[in-house]
Amino acid sequence: MEKTLKKENFNSLITGLKDKGYKTIAPKKDNNLVMLDEVQSADEIHLDHVQTNNSVKEFFLPKTEKILSYKIEKNKVSMEEPEGFAVKTVIFGSRPCDAASLPVMDKVFNWDCSDKFWVERREAITVVTIACDKCDSYCFCTSVNLAPDSKEGSDVLLTKISDDEYLVETVTEKGEGLIKELETVFSDPAGGTPERQIASVEKKFEIDKVKPWLDENFVNKVWAEFSTKCIGCGACTFVCPTCHCFDIVDECTMSKGDRVKNWDGCQFKMFTLHTSGHNPRSTQDQRWRQRIMHKFKYYVEKFDNILCVGCGRCSRVCPADMNISEMLEIIATEDNQKE
Amino acid sequence: MENIYKPYLMNISDTIDEAPGVRTFRLNFLNEEEGKNFQFQAGQFALYSVFGYGESTFCIASSPTRKDYIECTFRQAGRVTNALRELNVGDTIGFRGPYGNVFPIEEWEGKNLVFIAGGIALPPLRCVIWNCLDLRDKYKNVTIVYGAKTVADLVYKNELKEWNARDDVNLVTTVDPGGETPDWTGKVGFVPTVVEETAPDSKDTIAIVCGPPIMIKFTLPVLEKLGFKQEKVYTTLENRMKCGLGKCGRCNIGCTYVCKEGPVFTAEEIGKMPDEF
Repeated sequence: MEKTLKKENFNSLITGLKDKGYKTIAPKKDNNLVMLDEVQSADEIHLDHVQTNNSVKEFFLPKTEKILSYKIEKNKVSMEEPEGFAVKTVIFGSRPCDAASLPVMDKVFNWDCSDKFWVERREAITVVTIACDKCDSYCFCTSVNLAPDSKEGSDVLLTKISDDEYLVETVTEKGEGLIKELETVFSDPAGGTPERQIASVEKKFEIDKVKPWLDENFVNKVWAEFSTKCIGCGACTFVCPTCHCFDIVDECTMSKGDRVKNWDGCQFKMFTLHTSGHNPRSTQDQRWRQRIMHKFKYYVEKFDNILCVGCGRCSRVCPADMNISEMLEIIATEDNQKE
Repeated sequence: MENIYKPYLMNISDTIDEAPGVRTFRLNFLNEEEGKNFQFQAGQFALYSVFGYGESTFCIASSPTRKDYIECTFRQAGRVTNALRELNVGDTIGFRGPYGNVFPIEEWEGKNLVFIAGGIALPPLRCVIWNCLDLRDKYKNVTIVYGAKTVADLVYKNELKEWNARDDVNLVTTVDPGGETPDWTGKVGFVPTVVEETAPDSKDTIAIVCGPPIMIKFTLPVLEKLGFKQEKVYTTLENRMKCGLGKCGRCNIGCTYVCKEGPVFTAEEIGKMPDEF
């Protein structure tokens, strides 16, 4: 289904969503940042950015989330399951790369057994993506088989067709349902082929050449070269829409507590540290290798997807100015020779 | 939808001190129905939790042939195991599992078995040892080589006595040089050396090895020298894990998730993994 949406109707859209019982998440200015966050009115929405600083990940896999509550009385324990965590929500105005991360992550969270916290949130959240009309030097979606107007993972895709109007394309039944629910906000297309304003994202490397190199180069001096600057802060893993590694810890008082799942990251030394003190990934180059291997080799072998959507956040946020697409460029052009 | 992170509640029905810092718990399901439906096989592991302290991963140390309970043996080392140590009979812990793959003991039928363990790595083998001993007529010769730093550090001392007394089990115990006591009658020496001296016949024999990485590293070449083919040598790995379900992303060695594709591997499979142990 195709419709159009005028900017002047954003307000009715947000009010409409509220009336229909949706929580709305949209890009919002927060000092120098643009963050996906809950909005109450269209005035709060900020669309003049390349990429939000946070990804959509935290709405599906929160930074910290309760997976169990318990009470301890003397030596008896009773458990209670969290409820109401999957809230009917619309994410409005996230980028195509963010949306594309969702079907990729579905695979790990449904592999063999399903993580209900992920699955139920996925069901409750509708993703309305806005295609990118601009990009920066960190963007590399076109190098990982995506595009600034990719539909993967979106329920609805909006594309700018003039300064004050968007073309609205429904991608899934869920998206179509949403548009129908708010019919009056949208208009029928004027006819003809509107000119879509889509960014031109430079292709930086041949992704097909990355995995064959990784297959042969678990041992290679580039890992140390790439990671010399790395300070192991893990910011890259937190801003990444596809980094999904987590920790499970207890937070409690003497008599009651919660078991929570927290974001964790492969760049931390503690991540793989055994109780004995032994650590299979004790140095930063091993941890950096893990990050690249997981995204461009292991995940591909297990789930037939690259665990990267080319959003560029890891490189934008890196305090040591490490740039993953530059590294992949080197890898893709290396002679496919084992050292 | 089921919450895959929700543990069973287990009652501690017995505790045994095995060695300094090492204790065994016998656990029963608080919910009888859950206990009746629970099934596992030798080699699988679980996540044990002390509410308020968190979860810790270790093997199920009892045999699936002993049906009414589960046993686990842990060394007091980190936050959770220290908290476990504080618990007593009658206390409740959480238990998630069983997870991972199993020792293919049916494939081993009609063969000789050599179990080789070092230190706190006997618990993962104890499960499969008792499983095979409870089905003793299905296997030919059974040899157990077990070593620890000192005599005090040997775990399951009562069971070692029991195995030693059986004529259908050949038990060889050893302690590291300097770890012996005046009345020690076992061997003195490191496990790989003792395996070489014991020289189990590799013909028609399966070897099951578990121990600290350094012990495994030096034992595998000895087995090779004795003629064991890599696909006849099994081990079980323990990496740091949080979910046990292939989601939390830390226990992998290359492409292999220890929690899903392991923890039981053959030496042949391990040989193909990248050097990330």
